[in-house]
Amino acid sequence: MTFEAYLQQWIEEAPVLAGSIVAVLFMAGVAALLGFRRTARLDEAELQRLAAAESATLERYLIAPGAKSALARLEGGKLMVARVMGADISARVLPVSAARFRFRNGRFSVAFADTGFPPLDLEIDQTPPWLAQLAEAS
Amino acid sequence: MTAPEPPFEIPPIITYAVPGFVALILIEMIYVRLTGRGRYEARDALTSLMMGFGNRVFGIAFGGLAVAAYFWVYQFRLFDLGWTWPVMVACFFAEDLAYYWFHRIAHERRWFWASHVIHHSSQHYNLTTALRQTWTGVLSLSFIFWLPLVWIGFPPLMVLMFSAISLVYQFWIHTETIHRMGPLEWVLNTPSHHRVHHAVNAKYLDANYAGVLIIWDRLFGTFVPEDDKEKPRYGIITQLGTFNPLRVAFHEWLGIWRDLRSAKSLREALGYTFGPPGWSPDGSRKTSRSIKQAWAAQYGAPSSSPAQAS
Repeated sequence: MTFEAYLQQWIEEAPVLAGSIVAVLFMAGVAALLGFRRTARLDEAELQRLAAAESATLERYLIAPGAKSALARLEGGKLMVARVMGADISARVLPVSAARFRFRNGRFSVAFADTGFPPLDLEIDQTPPWLAQLAEAS
Repeated sequence: MTAPEPPFEIPPIITYAVPGFVALILIEMIYVRLTGRGRYEARDALTSLMMGFGNRVFGIAFGGLAVAAYFWVYQFRLFDLGWTWPVMVACFFAEDLAYYWFHRIAHERRWFWASHVIHHSSQHYNLTTALRQTWTGVLSLSFIFWLPLVWIGFPPLMVLMFSAISLVYQFWIHTETIHRMGPLEWVLNTPSHHRVHHAVNAKYLDANYAGVLIIWDRLFGTFVPEDDKEKPRYGIITQLGTFNPLRVAFHEWLGIWRDLRSAKSLREALGYTFGPPGWSPDGSRKTSRSIKQAWAAQYGAPSSSPAQAS
């Protein structure tokens, strides 16, 4: 295939792609209008359930204001992070060494090696001692 | 290199199906809203639809490579199979069998899983999930599973046509709004069978790889029926924490890259790349097998194959 033919293919597909974007936005808009925008909330019971699903027990935890993300230490020293994903919750259990911690300007940030789980930012006034210990240990 | 011309003009099957996809998604949304049967989440749906859009873009950019490979291999065909009805019927079955093996290996080997994981990354199961498609399928050489068909002698356009038909067929089975379909469950891949395939419950892992016909799973021992007592939970073992399409599309590839950088030997590098998803040198990560074994140990169920696990 020549470059001209390749370019021509893109030109021919352009209206279809533009139409697809409109259709995508329309469908997502209809979903929002129909009320499919429920937001889950994190609380202690939910964190305990998530920990139990990993055959672990919750020791300490911190739920961010708004209850959309949380950080917990599990029995045995592992870390559990949880994030609200719309109506669902996504959680990870990982060794402390697999996370990078940073506390700056009232924001506690935890970054993970896994690209599928973006950094977690928790707005907190003061770092609890157990979290400070975790950060130091990492 | 010339291939026999089809006796009819093959329409752009997937493009023609798109308006039907849109209409059915809107109908399903309204049905779910009215009945509460099934689940939708606007941000999740938007991500799925954007992945479908990206799949189209990457298809235009790189799809020609797969087509070129089909025609190149076709030069070395064993038989000259023309566009006759018996050949088309045989091609339908052969394409569906090729899909089964592609799909099974896409779950069992991380190289192909890195592309296919995108389709499973939603915690929802509705018609938008069907459109949550990979961007890197061609680049990961997924098309090699269909090359034996053109090598045998099926015309490349015939294989592509049945691949498109299979893809369109698989759209409507991504729904929780249809329960069971009677005797059709024996032969066809149905919403019930495919719900099992998308589930992360230990009992349901690595099962029901069928495209159109469920017979291949029954034949190769990977069939698991949906159990009304165990509602499927959807997604992947380590659920994504993002709706960002770029992160969704490339997270597993970056995971492979990260692991390769830490590999200490060729064995480890090969294991990280071509081993089962979750493979690690010390066995510390979870794989489907280890999850099923733990489940079997806990509940006393056999775990050697999904068919037994059912």
